[in-house]
Order: sequence, then C-alpha cells, then structure tokens
Amino acid sequence: DSKWDLPTAYAPSSFQTENLQSFVNDVDKASAGKLKITLHSNASLYKANEIKRAVQTGQVAAGEILLSGYANENPLFGTDSVPFLADSYAEAAKLAGIERPYLDKLLAAQGMKLLFTVPWPGQNLYSAKPVETAAELKGSKMRAYNPATSRIAQLLGAQPTTIQLAELSQALATGTVQNFLTSSASGVENKLFESVKYYYRVNAWLPKNAVIVSQKAFDSLDKPTQEAVLKAAAAAQERGWKISEAKDIEYQKELAAKGMKLADPSPALKKELQAVGEKMTEEWLKNAGADGQAIINAFKKP
Amino acid sequence: MKSALLAFYRLLGLLAMLAMVAALITVGLSVLAREASWDIQGLDAYAGYAIVAALFLALPITFQRGEHIRVTLLMGKLPQRWSNALQVWSLLAGSALSALLAWFAVRLVWISWSTHDVSPAMDASPLWIPQLAMALGCIGMAVACLDALLSHLLGLPFFDTHAHGEAARIE
Amino acid sequence: MDALIALLLIVLMLVVLGSGLWIGLALLGVGVFAMELFSTRPVGDAMVLTIWGSTSSWTLTALPLFLWMGEILFRSKLSEGMFRGLSPWLNHIPGRLLHVNVIGCAIFAAVSGSSAATCATIGKITLPELKKRGYPDHMAVGTLSGAGTLGLLIPPSIIMIVYGVAANVSIAKLFMAGVIPGILLAMVFMGYIVVWALRNPQQVPAADAHVGLLAKLYEGRHLLPVVALIIVVLGSIYSGIATATEAAALGVAGSLALAAIEGSLSWRKFYEGLGSAVRVYCMIGLILAGAAFLTLAMGFIGLPRHLAEFIGGLGLSPFALMLVLMGFFILLGCFLDGISMVVLTMAVLLPTVQSAGFDLLWFGIFIVLVVEMAQITPPVGFNLFVLQGLTKREITWLARVSMPLFWLMVSFVMLVYFVPGIITWLPGLMQ
Ligand code: NA
Ligand code: NA
Repeated sequence: DSKWDLPTAYAPSSFQTENLQSFVNDVDKASAGKLKITLHSNASLYKANEIKRAVQTGQVAAGEILLSGYANENPLFGTDSVPFLADSYAEAAKLAGIERPYLDKLLAAQGMKLLFTVPWPGQNLYSAKPVETAAELKGSKMRAYNPATSRIAQLLGAQPTTIQLAELSQALATGTVQNFLTSSASGVENKLFESVKYYYRVNAWLPKNAVIVSQKAFDSLDKPTQEAVLKAAAAAQERGWKISEAKDIEYQKELAAKGMKLADPSPALKKELQAVGEKMTEEWLKNAGADGQAIINAFKKP
Repeated sequence: MKSALLAFYRLLGLLAMLAMVAALITVGLSVLAREASWDIQGLDAYAGYAIVAALFLALPITFQRGEHIRVTLLMGKLPQRWSNALQVWSLLAGSALSALLAWFAVRLVWISWSTHDVSPAMDASPLWIPQLAMALGCIGMAVACLDALLSHLLGLPFFDTHAHGEAARIE
Repeated sequence: MDALIALLLIVLMLVVLGSGLWIGLALLGVGVFAMELFSTRPVGDAMVLTIWGSTSSWTLTALPLFLWMGEILFRSKLSEGMFRGLSPWLNHIPGRLLHVNVIGCAIFAAVSGSSAATCATIGKITLPELKKRGYPDHMAVGTLSGAGTLGLLIPPSIIMIVYGVAANVSIAKLFMAGVIPGILLAMVFMGYIVVWALRNPQQVPAADAHVGLLAKLYEGRHLLPVVALIIVVLGSIYSGIATATEAAALGVAGSLALAAIEGSLSWRKFYEGLGSAVRVYCMIGLILAGAAFLTLAMGFIGLPRHLAEFIGGLGLSPFALMLVLMGFFILLGCFLDGISMVVLTMAVLLPTVQSAGFDLLWFGIFIVLVVEMAQITPPVGFNLFVLQGLTKREITWLARVSMPLFWLMVSFVMLVYFVPGIITWLPGLMQ
C-alpha cells in the first residue's frame, strides 16, 4: 500500500482544491484503499514556489502547481499565459490539447509526470477608475507579479508595480496600485470587490493549475492502481474544466452583486490589447524556439 | 588558528551587515521606484535574498558572542559537574545539527545549480547564487560549533559574552 | 497513538530546551527527530527547502529592518527628549512621573515594533530618573515591564507581521486593530498607577516645582522628533506611499536622519547599531528557521491536523476554547519567545480557531495580548531579561513586581472577548 502527500498552495475553499479533493477521494475508491493521498491545502506543507522542487527531488510524491509560474525556467510552461492568444474556454481547451505532449516531454525529462490540468477563469482587468481606451492606463500603477504581467504593463505604458497578493487590497485602498489583471475567482476569494469598482472581461488568458507526480512514485504503484490514478485524473480534468467555466459565471454574478460594474472592453481597448498580445506572442516565440512555433502553428490552424 | 577562525566569523558578520544595508536599499528603492515611476524589476525578490544572507552569514558571530538564546535555568542551578555535562551535550548536539544543516544547504545549492532552478518571480535569478550565502553561513555555524566544542573540552575560551554590556535585546 | 506521539514530542521539546541547547537548533533537532521517526520522507532536502522558503520571503524583510530601527533609536537621544517633553504635564495626576513609563512606552511603541526595545529604551531614561526622585522601585520597574509590552500591540509590530504572514491576514488591518486596544491597555496601566498612588500616598514623592503653561509647551518641543518619526512610519502606510513591509525601511531611514540631525549619529554608533541589529535578527531568524522546519515535520506526521481535530472534537464553546488557548499560550510563554510561539502553533490552531467562529483579525490581537503576557513571565520573558540588565535584580523579584500587570492583561483579554468591537471596529472602517 502507498501513501502520497499532495501539497497545494490554494485554500480549501477554492474550486481547484475542491476538485483536487474529489480526485483524492476517487483514487481512494478506485484503488480500493491501496493508494492513500493526503491533500495539504493552503500552502500548509510547502509554499507555492517550493512545490515543483519538492516533487522533483522526491520530498513529496505529488503536488499541484500553477504551470505558468515556471515560465522563467522554460517558456513552454507559460504557453497558456501568452496574453490574448487563447481567450475563451474553447480556445484554451484547444491550446491545452496541443501543448500537452510538449509539457509531458518537458516534465518527463525532470522525472515527473503530468496527471491533469484545470484552468482558472480568464484574467480580466480590474480597475479603480473606468477604462475606455488603453490611453487611460498610461502612467497608471498596474500590479505585476511575474515577467508576463510586468511586460503587459510596460507595453500599455503603465507602471508595473510589484505587490504581493496579501497586500493587494490595502494597496488598492491607498492607491498604491490602480489596476491589475486577475480572474473572477481570485476577485471573489480575495474580496477585491471591496477595493475596486470596474471589471472588464478582456479574458487575457486562462492560466492552468497542473497536478504533477514523481515518475518514481508513480512507477512504484502496481498496474491496476496506476490505471485507477490515470482514470481519476482524466475524470478530474474533465470535471475541473466544467466547474471552472460554470464558476466563472457564478463569480461574475457575485462581483456584480457586490457592486462592481462588469462590462466588455470597448472595441478600441480590445484592439489595443490585441496588439499587445501579438507583440508578446512574437517575443514569446523568440524564447520558445521550434517547439513554441509548432504549438502556435497548430493552434492558428482552423 | 583560533584567531583565524575568529576573523572568519567576523568577516561573515561583516558580510551580513552589508546584506542588511542591501536589504534597506532594496526595500527603499522599491518605494522610490514606485513614486518616481522607475521600472526596476525583481526588487522584492532581491530584498528576500538580502535578508537570507544577513540571517545566515551572521550565525557564527552571533553564536560566538553568546547572543543565540537558550534556557540556562537548569544549567545555572546544577552543580558544576552537571552543568559542564549539559554544556558538552549542547555543543555536541549543536555541532551535529549545524553540520547537518550545512551539508544539506550545500546540497541545495548543488541541486539548484544542476537543475537550473530559477526564481519564478520577476528577477528570474538562478537560485543557486543567493542560496550560496545561506550555505556559507551554515558552514560557518558548523565550524563555530565545533570550535566551541573543542575549546570547551580543551579548556580554552570561546564565547565572548562581555563585548556587549547593554541590555538592548530585542524581540 | 497520536496522543502518545504528541506527548513524546512535548516532553522531548521541554527536555531539549531545558538542557540548554540553543532554541533555534533545539526546534530543528526535534523536527529532524520527529520526521525521521514518524514519517518516511527524506529529511535533509525538505529541511533546507523549507528554511530557504521561509527566510527568503519579501514580507519577512520588515522584521530585520524594524529591529535595526530599534537599535538606531536606542543609541540616539530621541527617547530622552521625549521624557523631558512629557514630565512637566504629569505633576498633578496621582502617581505623577510613574505615568512617564506608560506614556513613554505607548509613544515609543508607535515607532518601534518590539517589546524589549521599548522596555530597554524607555527604561534607560525613566528608571534612573524615577529612582533619583524617590519613586519606589517595585512600581517603577513593574509598570515599565508591563508597559514595555505595548511595543507589540501598538503598531508597527513585528509579532503582528509574523502572525499576518502565518495566518494570511492583512498586516495593515492587524496594525489598525491594535490601535484601540493599545491605547486602552495603556489607560488600564495608568489607572492601576492612579489607584496604587491613592492607596499609598506616602510612597509617592512630592511634585516638582510648578511650571507655567508656556514653559510646559516649550518643553514639549522635545516630543517633535518622535512625532515626526510616527508620521513617517504610519503616514507612509496609510497614504499609500509604502506597504506595511516597506514602511520599515522608511523607519530606518527616518531614524537615521533624526539621529544625524540631533548630532548623535557617528560611524561608530552606526556600525554598532547595524551589527547589533544583524545579530538580534540572526538570533530570531534561527528560531524562525527551526520553527518553520518543525512545522513542516508536523505537517508530514499529521499531528497538528489530528490535534486540531481532537480539540475541535472536544466541542468547546468559543469562550472555553479561548480560556484553554490562553492557558496554553501562557504555559508556552514560560519557555518560548513570542515569535516562535506564533509560528509553532498557528498551523495547528488556525483551523480550530476558524471553525470556532473566531475572527482571525480578533484572534491576531488576542495572540499579541497573550504573547505580551509571556514577555513578563519567567523563566523566558524578554522584558524580564532586559530589566535584569538594567536593574541587576534577580529574575524572581522582577517577575514578582510584574505580576499585577500580568493579571491586568488577563482581565483585559476577558474585556476584548466580551467587547470584540474594541479590536474589530477600527479596521472595519478601512474598506
Ligand atoms: Na509597536
Ligand atoms: Na515568558
């Protein structure tokens, strides 16, 4: 019998963690208790940035990571976060299918196996003031938390401002930050509606969480248990994508109910953002090499 | 030999002080940069590396000056022979633990280097570089603990607890 | 089985701490022991990865910087000027200059994040002055000991930063939440001095010569540097110039500037202050590192989860849970410093505390209050150590004269339990 620890950085109440808990329960049932997975939520075991390393070095058997968090290491981890490339669930699903073999190869080279991915709702623009055109973002303080968000701010002429999520609502209240991109989910989970009023559905990208497992730990399971894990993973992926999409609608309703003004971006803003996206896709391709080009080519093919 | 070791602890302590100044400058710069709309990236990560360096590089000198806290209630109450035994035990256990820490801190650097681990934040630094300071400090601590143990067994002085008379202990 | 493991680890912890092993290393050692024995995970890599993660975080940078700020102020004339500014105003209140201890600590608390720095800095000026004027030692030292703990409750506060990171609570809100309880607790201490003075009028020395209003106001100019520093540190946070973390850097810069202006900043003092700050941070940081790893080991073993389930399963009423936790922390506070108490127990307690319906903001202030008590209980109480250095008295005597203040704090915790608005009202206005 095997016991796995599965750390995640997200709170137990997050839909991602709830989906993960269902996966854990499914595995327990399907393997007839031969594989017990303990879910450690809320970064109680390892912090977000430590989880991949912990799996890679065999400290834990499995873990949940935000794929694009590792874009510094290899641009292919950030495929789903190239802004304005895949900006709907349908497109994100198409992209996920295309990039999967590349991710599998990348992780296999590091001794890990990708079990499943579930997207967060699209990254939308939260702003303290109304935004009609990109010109209104010029010179504003835009939250940045990784190279991609920082680059978007730069291309829009905004000031990329590093603020940790824990300090975000205070920073918004005092004007340290004026706007930022994040999902409807984190807007609700972090009560960001208390500090900003305007929300534009720009769907910049749909970043994915991935559950990874150490190949060694996976290989040490017997065949039926391995199959049980893979089956539960496939189910978790299918369920997760559906939940994510349904939750997005729910969360947006909640944001509106809390007094936020939700709107689609104006055609002008949309066009300007699209231009930023094209520029960043180009830049991404320079780093992502032949594999990156192959992914984009396959994605652009109708 | 003893003075060379002491110089080593002091050197690391000096580097720790520089790291603290670096932390101040980095954090201060992040305020300035935002106010002046300068685009400097990764400052939060650099501040983190600076305080790690300050913490670990100061380990040996803090130890040598007897400023790491411990519960001495029992040691003070027991007769000389027994409190001596407790001191030997503390130094032995301290040496073993800090050696363990040093070994794995070096291994951390090595793994970061061999797996090309980079910071996921905006600085995108190769992590083995800032981790080097932690490894160096841990090695210093292990050396200092062994030094203290040998000094104690040989009846030589090690701790310098008279250098700071004032009660400026902070919590 | 879990109870047995828990008991074994607690006994081991007490034995190892009592044996005199340095506290940070002791926590590390207990963590290694526990993980080796009760989990199948490789220990070493997990240990350093966790230590690296917990000590390289941005939010932690405020801790060493506030420590540094305290060291600079300790070496400047700032606090001395504050005593001179305050003393002419207090001649007519029962207890007279004893109140300088409390007011001085409360004001200094607003610029310093630590209890012992507050206690040391204020005590250095007030204790000789009070002795010279014939105030009884037990009141001078006791009130200082208690009031020094306000350094933790009145923002900025290092322990709140540590708790905020551990519990994922907004540090800015925690700072706000500490303001009213801090002022109230200071008033409770002053009330205690008044009551004591009215009951023991013969022990209170006569008033100084009467000073006119103009002279009083003129003496008040000595308060200006402190006020300036408060404006820099707190103003920067609430005006959006700096985050709560960054404010510490402004505090260091501000106190360096003030020290330079008043002419008390020399290279030697700068070097000494910096060195002392680095070593004190190192001392606390080693404990933080040990505690972070012990927390990880506990996570792997699952002990906290099971204990939390156990306490949760007890079905204690919130009031009983609060009492149990207060007793638990006072007991822990006899052996551990406040910061390691917080990092050691938060992972265990937060789920239980949350499920009992406590507001995490309220609980943060509760923890700060209990940690304040721990500062003045033997054998490990930082304010007692500071006072031992200042007065050269036995720690038992110091603990005895601090006891009345300890009981006042216990009653104060009861008060905030029944009137939680004392804590939650001000941060509630922030939205
Ligand atoms: Na304070
Ligand atoms: Na205590």
